[in-house]
Amino acid sequence: MQYCSACQTALASVVILDLDDGAVTGSQHLCPTCAEQLGVAQPKTPPKFSAEILEDLLGGLQAPGAGSAAGSEAGNEDSAAETGSAGKPRRGAARQQADACPGCGMTVSEFRSKGRLGCPRCYETYRNDLVPLLQRIHEAQSHRGRLPGRLAAAPPATDERDLAQLRQRLEDAVRGERYEEAAKLRDDLRRLERGESSEGTHS
Amino acid sequence: MSGNGDDTDFDASDFDESGSDQSGAPEFQGGAWLRGSGPDSDIAICTRVRLARNLVGYHFSPQLAEEQARQLRDFVIDRLQKPGLPEQLAIVDLDSIDELERSVLVERHLISRELATSRRPRAAAIDSDESVAIMVNEEDHLRMQVFESGLELDGAWRRAERLDDALMQRLPIAWSEEFGFQTSCPTNTGTGLRLSVMLHLPGLVWSEDIERATNVAQKIHLAVRGLYGEGSRALGDFYQVSNQITLGRDEEQIIDDVRLAVGRIVTWEREVREALLRGAARARTLDRIHRALGTIERAQILTSEESLGCLSALRLGLEEKVLSGFTVADVNRALLLSQPGHLQRESRQRLDPDERDERRARLVREVLRVQL
Repeated sequence: MQYCSACQTALASVVILDLDDGAVTGSQHLCPTCAEQLGVAQPKTPPKFSAEILEDLLGGLQAPGAGSAAGSEAGNEDSAAETGSAGKPRRGAARQQADACPGCGMTVSEFRSKGRLGCPRCYETYRNDLVPLLQRIHEAQSHRGRLPGRLAAAPPATDERDLAQLRQRLEDAVRGERYEEAAKLRDDLRRLERGESSEGTHS
Repeated sequence: MSGNGDDTDFDASDFDESGSDQSGAPEFQGGAWLRGSGPDSDIAICTRVRLARNLVGYHFSPQLAEEQARQLRDFVIDRLQKPGLPEQLAIVDLDSIDELERSVLVERHLISRELATSRRPRAAAIDSDESVAIMVNEEDHLRMQVFESGLELDGAWRRAERLDDALMQRLPIAWSEEFGFQTSCPTNTGTGLRLSVMLHLPGLVWSEDIERATNVAQKIHLAVRGLYGEGSRALGDFYQVSNQITLGRDEEQIIDDVRLAVGRIVTWEREVREALLRGAARARTLDRIHRALGTIERAQILTSEESLGCLSALRLGLEEKVLSGFTVADVNRALLLSQPGHLQRESRQRLDPDERDERRARLVREVLRVQL
């Protein structure tokens, strides 16, 4: 859990990602109050469809080379990880430190004494302990590099039908708040519209 | 907590008292690290890529109940045997071979000592060149290793990546966007990649520059450890450089880090070797190399420590064209075959340390063909 980078006191629940050509180039973590003051708060009732975000992404399409598209994402950072293991507990589960991991039954004291996780689910269960630990070990908190999901590259699209399909997938990704995927799909679309062949999403 | 949750790597193998009187382990082929070929092979012996992967739906191996561990092992073996894998792997049932033969596999770096001594159901899949090995139910469900001779970072990585791709297609691998590949130990989380290069650095050791050289690597968070010897104590001037950080840096960056550090160390070692063979230093260096040869030719008892020191000097002598009559590959073979597991398998009996030292002296002479 990170503290708000503006007021430094409240827990951050809004993450602003700076996107440049599909790559995340920076991020800002804000609490709801500061986010509202800065005018980037998530609307109280989430819209059925994040039209603005899609517009931002598509806006980038119409004006290639436009600087950075700001994707604002509220609350659940896990949304970006939806392609990960299914049935992931929400962040709140991490606070139940006293409880054993629902995946494997490992207790927090076991985790702390062994320094080993018991199952993939422990990554969520012991998130609060794990993230600072990862920071100490790796001087980083999140992954860069290959993943199985990224191997499933976008199929090469060569005609209008493929373009339409890509647009649909982009729309779905935005609707599902999978912004990283959306940004990549946007790049693919941009490439195709320029008449280049799709390079897929595996970098 | 900050302990290194790494595999036992190319660990010391001369401290194992195990033995039995059975033979019949796979015939000696000579793995990638023995060949003495590949880029920068005068200094870089071998490059290794290791990837840690786990399956969803199972606890990590150390938490796995026996029945589950057996199920997982059988499932993985079944999937490994499906056609289309980029490597031809033979499954080794580690329970059906004895302790001595498992030691032999450890000494060839194909399995870790942890896997060899583990009581949980486990297995290994090894290719006939001994350049690819997959461990099942080690600290992680899968630990795959690819070895290439010399300093061959890109080649080793490409091969590991292809194998990883194939495994990800046939097995449900645990991962998340945020943490990458989920591993049992947080020291492997993210890429699960440990990239190691084994280096022979007699010049830097003899000139006492080794500490400064290893600082180069440590500055960018690479670990430098002895290849033989307990803990970080290096025997025979053999070292391994490997990345420690697996999270927040992608595979290309990790490869670049290792390339940078190893490149600097290799250049430094070459400069020092040149200096050691020039001017006033030359006589002392030649003396050291020839004394090592004298010991190998005459000694009737060779401890592993003395043997490693002498073989290191001979390797330097060969690389710098000071010696001839045998090859670097011969020296590498002597290094391998003089380890306890191999020595005992060769003699088909359990040997105590004194007997091993005697056999070692004879074996090294035979392998190098320096019998008087």
